Amino acid sequence: MEQATREIFMNFPVWMQVVFYVIGLSTSAFFIYGFWLRIKKYRRGREAGRFNNLVGRFFKALGMMATNATIFKRDTYAGVAHWLIFWGFVVLFLGTVTVAVDHDFLELVFEYRLLKGSFYLWFSLFLDVFGVFFIVGLLMMIFRRGVMHPPQLDYRRPDLPPEKYSRASYKKDDKTFLWLLLIIGLTGFLIEGLRIAAEGMPAFEKWSPVGWLIAGWVENLPVSTLHMYTWWFHAVIVLVFIAYIPFSKAMHMLVDYANLMFVDDLAARRLPRVTEEKMKEGMGYLKLEDFTWKELLDFDACTKCGRCHAACPANASGAPLSPRDLILDLRTFANEKLGPKEWFSQVFLNGNGKKDKALAGGVIKKETLWSCTTCMACVEACPVGIEHLTSIVNLRRTLVDEGEMEDSLQDALMNIGDYGNSFGQSERMRAKWTKDLDFKIKDARKEPVQYLWFVGDYASFDTNVQQMTRKVANLFHSIGLNFGILYEAEKNAGNDVRRIGEEGLFEMLVEDNSEALKDAQFKEIITTDPHTLNTLKYEYPEFGANYKVLHYTELLCRLMDEGKLKISKKLNQYKVTYHDPCYLGRYNRQTEAPRRLLEALGVDFHEMRRCKENSFCCGAGGGRIWMDDSKLEKRPSVQRIEEALEIDGVNLFVVACPKDYTMFSDAVKTSGNEDKLAVKDIIELVEEAL
Amino acid sequence: MNIIVPLRQVPDLVEELEIESGGKDLDREWLKFKVNEFDDHALEEALCFKEDHGGQVIAIALDANDADKALYAAAAKGADRVIKITGNFEGQVASRTAAKAMANVIAQLEWNMVFAGVQAVDERDGQVGVLLAHFLGVPHVSVVTGVSNNGGTLEIHKEYGGGIIAEFEVAPPVVLGIQAARQTPRYVPVAKVRRAMRSTDLEEMDAGDVSVNVGSQVTRMYKPEAGGRAEMLEGSAEEVAAKLAEIIRSKV
Repeated sequence: MEQATREIFMNFPVWMQVVFYVIGLSTSAFFIYGFWLRIKKYRRGREAGRFNNLVGRFFKALGMMATNATIFKRDTYAGVAHWLIFWGFVVLFLGTVTVAVDHDFLELVFEYRLLKGSFYLWFSLFLDVFGVFFIVGLLMMIFRRGVMHPPQLDYRRPDLPPEKYSRASYKKDDKTFLWLLLIIGLTGFLIEGLRIAAEGMPAFEKWSPVGWLIAGWVENLPVSTLHMYTWWFHAVIVLVFIAYIPFSKAMHMLVDYANLMFVDDLAARRLPRVTEEKMKEGMGYLKLEDFTWKELLDFDACTKCGRCHAACPANASGAPLSPRDLILDLRTFANEKLGPKEWFSQVFLNGNGKKDKALAGGVIKKETLWSCTTCMACVEACPVGIEHLTSIVNLRRTLVDEGEMEDSLQDALMNIGDYGNSFGQSERMRAKWTKDLDFKIKDARKEPVQYLWFVGDYASFDTNVQQMTRKVANLFHSIGLNFGILYEAEKNAGNDVRRIGEEGLFEMLVEDNSEALKDAQFKEIITTDPHTLNTLKYEYPEFGANYKVLHYTELLCRLMDEGKLKISKKLNQYKVTYHDPCYLGRYNRQTEAPRRLLEALGVDFHEMRRCKENSFCCGAGGGRIWMDDSKLEKRPSVQRIEEALEIDGVNLFVVACPKDYTMFSDAVKTSGNEDKLAVKDIIELVEEAL
Repeated sequence: MNIIVPLRQVPDLVEELEIESGGKDLDREWLKFKVNEFDDHALEEALCFKEDHGGQVIAIALDANDADKALYAAAAKGADRVIKITGNFEGQVASRTAAKAMANVIAQLEWNMVFAGVQAVDERDGQVGVLLAHFLGVPHVSVVTGVSNNGGTLEIHKEYGGGIIAEFEVAPPVVLGIQAARQTPRYVPVAKVRRAMRSTDLEEMDAGDVSVNVGSQVTRMYKPEAGGRAEMLEGSAEEVAAKLAEIIRSKV
């Protein structure tokens, strides 16, 4: 049997081979230039502190990339299609590299060929299979864009009328990318077929089944000439593609790996501090160089997949915010700042060209920034590790610096500054809710306790939520829990203050609360408020206040396991759904404790469409509760109530967050669903079942 | 034009007020103070005016009730100079004494206008501005809701009862009693206030001779005794109507 191998430059004259290498080298130079431009761009950003544990980061990102796990998440179709394209591309790329090494190095230098014999046969088969994967994946994506039109691929902006902007260049980029890859894949197979036919159909080439099939179809054509033309066509497209990579969405192949590698596992949960240095010129961002290099990388990492756009409660309720558009606008801003126009203005006009738009309030409108509920759905949905929230809060800090906010929000901040609570009540009234209890809660500043209960603003001051707070207190008391509170020494924990962008006030609250916590003796902190939980758990440690923090649902589960909390009644008369608070389910990944409680209570439990980490925000977070929501088309809380009512016969909407209790009690009333659906805190059910 | 803004620290009404045992003043030991709301508007209007027409904003305050805090906040908002007036300002200071102390200090400064808050919770008669104008010998317009620069003179909007607004033309120097600024007083981030506390030069100037004939003094301070309480009528509509009819009958 003749030796199984293939000719690379079959019957090509030397000059043609030279031309090939010249084009190849120049397009590679183009690629390197584009790549270098990007690196230069990121080097202009501030330090981000992401170079710890590089090996761990490298392999974690490698794992995410290899499995395409973040793309499969909540979108199997896109996941499958992307996996096929990704692995098709990787295998074909490695195959091409093997051919190059074999032909341009091994054979040239050592006169040795790797691609021969049975290795070549398996190699051919493997590449053909993944080539098919590649093409199938691409066709799936073309079908998705052209026929399926999923809502996340809708490029319409929520903040501008259609005549004010154009997304044509994005659409062109999307199409160019897909079709270039498809043409490369298809012509690759065609070349293979033509070559096999030109070689007289050697039997071992059956190991390239697709090539063999095509060879059968073209056998009677002038295959040698066709082979040469197709070969050149394919080669030029591939080389053009290489040059095109750093200037198009194809760059996501490289940037997104880096972005996943340098992701912050606590992104959004723990916001970046403002350095002393930065504080001097204001806490916020004024210019491109104020962004960290990771933020600049974030802007480039976006593939416009639109998952954040579809998940965002602000966008869903008609607010002028789409996390996707925000990131893309910042990308445009960054590119303009680094583009030739800016260079011209700096060099020849000494920077006296057209006056720049402000970053916060101009490039990104203030209404856009204030629309964010900081629910983290965007960060959760993003398959490539973009940390939208970090940039949003950094830009909000600029607005706070400049006092650009609604009066009601300003009032809330001033109240928190003056009295430590947003309600504008005297600090001395913080524990007034305890007056109606028939026992006295221990003062943790005066006597040691097992659990320190950090009550929080809404639970302390809102008259409706106070009833829930007292129920929690009564339950703790009735089972003999050793717990106490800080009385008037407790202040707003500052979670939402920080997310509004008032970093100075946040730091002041942390100082005051840390001081109070230091003076108290306790083992663990408990709270009913997931917002408080988040900042105490993830942000306070950076300021030296490092404690173990539990949500009350976690504590109740623990007490149930220890046999201290005994559920004696089954509440099977209720058909229940449960709303995961953003700051509990998504931020804190605690979705099981409340479900275990509901299971123990014996209710007829049903999940909503969006649940657990994929829960839908009530609209109150990040300071939104102090802002006007009357301009929204349909408030997120009302949308959520309607989502619950999709469950046939559901009559109870259970919450585990004081702000949720307020928001949804209101939403059932204003949406006219009060007689269908009752809103209850989980503590009410526990109390009923004792 | 340079604008002087006197800031007054007043008791925070969020806290419950107690009368001291002598019965002539508030119990000041537990009082919490905050800047008078109208002074905050005066400062805002001054800052807006400065942003439009240039000049300096100089905030002044009598050295009492945590005045430093108010002055630093003013500096953080954009006041160019902040001056604390030293002297004996314990307890409730008579409006005349306060005005005299301020006038003594203002006379030493280069100024064109004084924007004073129209009144304060502990000075509801709004006398300080009027007296200040008197001591400085300049015109005074009060209950001002708008100030604009009309070349060398000022166009001033003053509010009257019944929803009437009058326009005044005044040439500085002048003292204005500001009712409301053109926009909500700005928020000043905590970080800026803290920075101001570190970097601002808080000037001190002596009040000088403040001996004036005050003419009146507090003889008793008390909370008004509660009058008759409202009675809530409860029950069904018919029952409530019957009770109501009974009451009316008994009073006729």
